Amino acid sequence: MNGFLELLSYPFVMRAVTAGTLISVCASVLGVILVLKHYSLIGHGLSEIGFASLSAASALGLPAMAITTPAVITASFIIMYVSQRYRTAGDIAIAIASSAALSLGVIVSSVSGQTSNMSSYLFGSILAMSDSDLLLSVMLSAAVMAVFILFYNRLFLITYNEDYARSLGINTALYQAVISVLTALVVVMGMRFMGTLLISSVIILPAVTARQIASGFRLLVVLSGIISLIAFILGLMVSFMLNLPAGASVVMVNAVILIIVKVLFRK
Amino acid sequence: MTERLRLEHAVIKYGDNTAVNDVSLSVCSGEMVFITGANGSGKSTLTRGIAGLLTLSSGTLERNGRMSYVPQVEEADRNFPARVREIVLTGTQRPGRLFYSRDDRLRAEGAMRELGIDGLADREIRTLSGGQLRRVFLARALCGEPELLLLDEPCAGLDAESHEVLFSVLGRIIAEGCAVLMVTHDVSDLDWINASRIITLSEGRIKIS
Ligand SMILES: Nc1ncnc2c1ncn2[C@@H]1O[C@H](COP(=O)(O)OP(=O)(O)O)[C@@H](O)[C@H]1O
Ligand SMILES: [Mg+2]
Repeated sequence: MNGFLELLSYPFVMRAVTAGTLISVCASVLGVILVLKHYSLIGHGLSEIGFASLSAASALGLPAMAITTPAVITASFIIMYVSQRYRTAGDIAIAIASSAALSLGVIVSSVSGQTSNMSSYLFGSILAMSDSDLLLSVMLSAAVMAVFILFYNRLFLITYNEDYARSLGINTALYQAVISVLTALVVVMGMRFMGTLLISSVIILPAVTARQIASGFRLLVVLSGIISLIAFILGLMVSFMLNLPAGASVVMVNAVILIIVKVLFRK
Repeated sequence: MTERLRLEHAVIKYGDNTAVNDVSLSVCSGEMVFITGANGSGKSTLTRGIAGLLTLSSGTLERNGRMSYVPQVEEADRNFPARVREIVLTGTQRPGRLFYSRDDRLRAEGAMRELGIDGLADREIRTLSGGQLRRVFLARALCGEPELLLLDEPCAGLDAESHEVLFSVLGRIIAEGCAVLMVTHDVSDLDWINASRIITLSEGRIKIS
């Protein structure tokens, strides 16, 4: 415990913890909408596509983030559109396309001899955060918060019943686009420290946990963020004390919290 | 009498399946128009087309004035974490306004009172019966102060008392000049109110008008 606090006195650790906390809170808050709209798959799909793009970019010697960010944003639009339009068949198509992307990424990485990069993309590395990443995560969190405060009533309406919102003349595609872009940015930022394979858990698990307790949408959003925050910090402490990978520890803590809540709040 | 809705030669398709075929109709303020027909005859598709949720493959749709739509209750997500009051309030939302005014809240309370669900205002929607949820959707539509009201099977599964509440509300807003288009597959609903017109659909076409 003392060791953990001591570690925080190093600026690069503090930076990583701050950025990581902000991103996982954003992920879990957006996760509420994604889970309620049955878009739970999206985080997973996006991170696999992000992985393929990161691998391809680094194999070709291109700037990784500059390529991956627009690629993932584009993918998020396509995935939301497809899963809305084609429902279950769409989900299956997304699962197939994104695992194909993941495999492609693995192949590209190994052919180009980038296997060490590959492992850090797959499992994440909390210390991968730079100063500019910290700045980006602060900006992203501010954007997510602003969207939830300004557009709360709209998000509530659209998440509950998009058709009804459209019948009122509300431009639901615009809000959908905002959520798509924010989700894509959270995935791109988050996959680097949580890992490609685990970022989607940070999107989904806190929302599912909060759903067991909260009876209203507003409380659900707030609770999901708080659970994610606690799970992230606890996960990092566990990872430091037991010398375990950070991303995996955060997900494990999230899973344990979910199980405890399920047992305590059995409905 | 202002014409609130005018549909001409409307065709709506799902892929190759033509669900609404060459339907023309108009509804003016103060009119009560019924649409009846068997299951699968295209009533809901027609209503969704008028509500702007489906695009016409051909034909024209003209609407003028504020519209409220009461969807079939079966389309609702019963498990959504929300309370009755929050759902009713959403009926006051419109483009360009992000927050509820005091007036919006008063109208929501008024609509709940009129429909006899003010006692349920703080209940979670997943704890409601189908009939109660119908009243919630009706209250949501009412507090948007519609000039054109579309109702898709609002009576299915309603008890006699709820029927009475529904038709007394409809009577009031029609008298105030609202145009109402109501879908029902149960012709006994027609006994409750004076219809301006009854349109019967069969396989997507108008049979008797
Ligand atoms: N979402 C849909 N996709 C494809 N076909 C549909 C869809 N909804 C309805 N249909 C078809 O359109 C026809 C009319 O359906 P509907 O408008 O729901 O009828 P009603 O409301 O009169 O029972 C039916 O043949 C139905 O199978
Ligand atoms: Mg129907």
